[in-house]
Amino acid sequence: MPDNYFARYLPLLIHLVIVGIVACGMVLLSWLIGWRRPTRAKMAPYECGMAPIGDARERFSVKFYLVAMLFILFDVEAVFLYPWAIILRDLKMFGFWEMIVYIDIVLVGFFYIWKKGVLDWGEASMKRGGF
Amino acid sequence: MTSPYPFAAIFGILIVALTIASGLIWIERRLLALWQDRYGPNRVGPFGLLQVLADTIKLLAKEDWIPPFADKPVFIIAPAIIMITVLMSFAVIPIAPGIIISDLNIALLFFLAMSSLGVYSIVLAGWSSDNKYSLLGGVRAAAQMLSYEVFMGLSLMGVVLLSGSFDLVDIVHAQRKIWFIIPQFLGFVLFLIAGLAETRRLPFDLPEAESELVAGFHSEYSGMKFGMFFVGEYLGVTLISAMITILFFGGWMGPVLPPIVWFLLKMFFFIGVFILMRASLPRPRFDQLMAWAWKLMLPLALANLLVTGAVVLAFFH
Amino acid sequence: MNVIAFYIAAAIAVLTTVLVITRKNAVQALLYLAVSLISVAVIFYDLGAPFMAALEVIIYAGSIIVLFIFVVMMLNLGKRATEAESKLLHARMWIGPIILAGILIAELAYLLAQGNTRVGAAHVIPPRDVGLALYRPYLLGVEISSMLLMGALVGAYHLGWHKQRKPETQDANREHATSPDAGRGPVRTGSGRTVGAP
Repeated sequence: MPDNYFARYLPLLIHLVIVGIVACGMVLLSWLIGWRRPTRAKMAPYECGMAPIGDARERFSVKFYLVAMLFILFDVEAVFLYPWAIILRDLKMFGFWEMIVYIDIVLVGFFYIWKKGVLDWGEASMKRGGF
Repeated sequence: MTSPYPFAAIFGILIVALTIASGLIWIERRLLALWQDRYGPNRVGPFGLLQVLADTIKLLAKEDWIPPFADKPVFIIAPAIIMITVLMSFAVIPIAPGIIISDLNIALLFFLAMSSLGVYSIVLAGWSSDNKYSLLGGVRAAAQMLSYEVFMGLSLMGVVLLSGSFDLVDIVHAQRKIWFIIPQFLGFVLFLIAGLAETRRLPFDLPEAESELVAGFHSEYSGMKFGMFFVGEYLGVTLISAMITILFFGGWMGPVLPPIVWFLLKMFFFIGVFILMRASLPRPRFDQLMAWAWKLMLPLALANLLVTGAVVLAFFH
Repeated sequence: MNVIAFYIAAAIAVLTTVLVITRKNAVQALLYLAVSLISVAVIFYDLGAPFMAALEVIIYAGSIIVLFIFVVMMLNLGKRATEAESKLLHARMWIGPIILAGILIAELAYLLAQGNTRVGAAHVIPPRDVGLALYRPYLLGVEISSMLLMGALVGAYHLGWHKQRKPETQDANREHATSPDAGRGPVRTGSGRTVGAP
């Protein structure tokens, strides 16, 4: 294990501590200097002057959830590409074709959900009878 | 090749980054005013330069408001997270030879990891506020940032293919012959767009679209906590500009002038580009934004990667 | 391997994981889970695997926990779920897990007492080596993972996407905003199932 491996992360650690102090300091400073005088109107959630109806805890379209799920899948795909990109020159043409096959298999799934309209938002989605 | 004086590097980079970020508030207002044919802030100090200081004092003296209906600990942590994640990314940025806090061999991945953690700040701010506008803004922001993060990493892999390293110092050295902007023009455009969306700058400021969502995820924030989101955004702009400079424009390299001057010149040029975009582009609809990310940018990023791979193999073997 | 860094990171990981279990508020629990995963990333780095450390943050802390928080935000469990959590966290619920965890600890102590553990043999593995391992000996695994991803894409679509029969429920968001019992849907933890549990 080379010596400079840990020498590299010590400054990073010091940096993290200082950054943490800066961030917490800003919050603390405004807490110390700022004043507090709550009134009834201030206690209510801001809704452009209207009296708020109900709680903000409402449900959202499942589309947002699907986006997050697709994001994870493509993030994992991208993760396999990171080490590939760094060693492609060692792998030569074999590595290139290998990645073509890999991406094509994932793209099959991608075009399936594209055709099914998962990637459509708004009116195009409505026409398909989805959400 | 880590700096021999870590404390000097840390404090230097932090102070410069924070100064630039807060100075950007003034620069942006002046530049926007110039492009919109008006004056902008010009009363406080010479050319209005002290406006930033006046704003800071005002923000600090404002009421430190935590809504009674909010989730208190999460509400306080959220603005701190954005400051920490963005400032941490500055640790791996090589400003000039020897001026870097920590020269990691996975610097590029560190940057991507920190930008993926930045999503928390927005989501938690929106959720903890317990305000309808905030929640809508938070959910929108998360969907947008996740969608654009997908191809942000992929758009950078072309650069990695050419340089064969995740180390930002190595990437700069690999551009001795030719800046990566020329072989990686598509990658540059993709990264610029992803960077705009990640920092939630106009035209991608849908999470805080004031005409529909008041101020989006930070509607309930006031005082310095609001200021932290504000500074965090400008720190993000500075960071993305610095990354563009390093990845595509040869970092500190350039003739005659000292390296650090070249770096700052290039960085400020891209900050100017960011502000010009705000001045000139309209905001898309949310469905357009999502369709862009998934149907256009993602296939383009993959195509760019494969074509670059083919070219690298064809020319180097 | 830096022993001090390892123990600090490991202690944080254990502590935050305990907090994940005991928090009643789902979002706060998830925040602790994110911290726990980041400390695991620190352990990876400490063991000489910087690439794995970065991936741990990018994949786990950066996307999977964000998905969880997303789901919590979207279901908006609110106070009733917190109450259900409180019911879940009474003393009797702890007996089973404690016995099982105790067996594991005993097993671990036995193995440590045997003395056949090899700690400290770690050496730094740069990202290049990870790539060479993945794309030479484990190539088939990479290809199979692409098929898994394809299957997951199709599966995600079929899980999250079903055609709505009634036209007025097309926009889930709008529907719940106007209905008086907003958020009283079928997907909800603690809706009777946990109450009846022993």
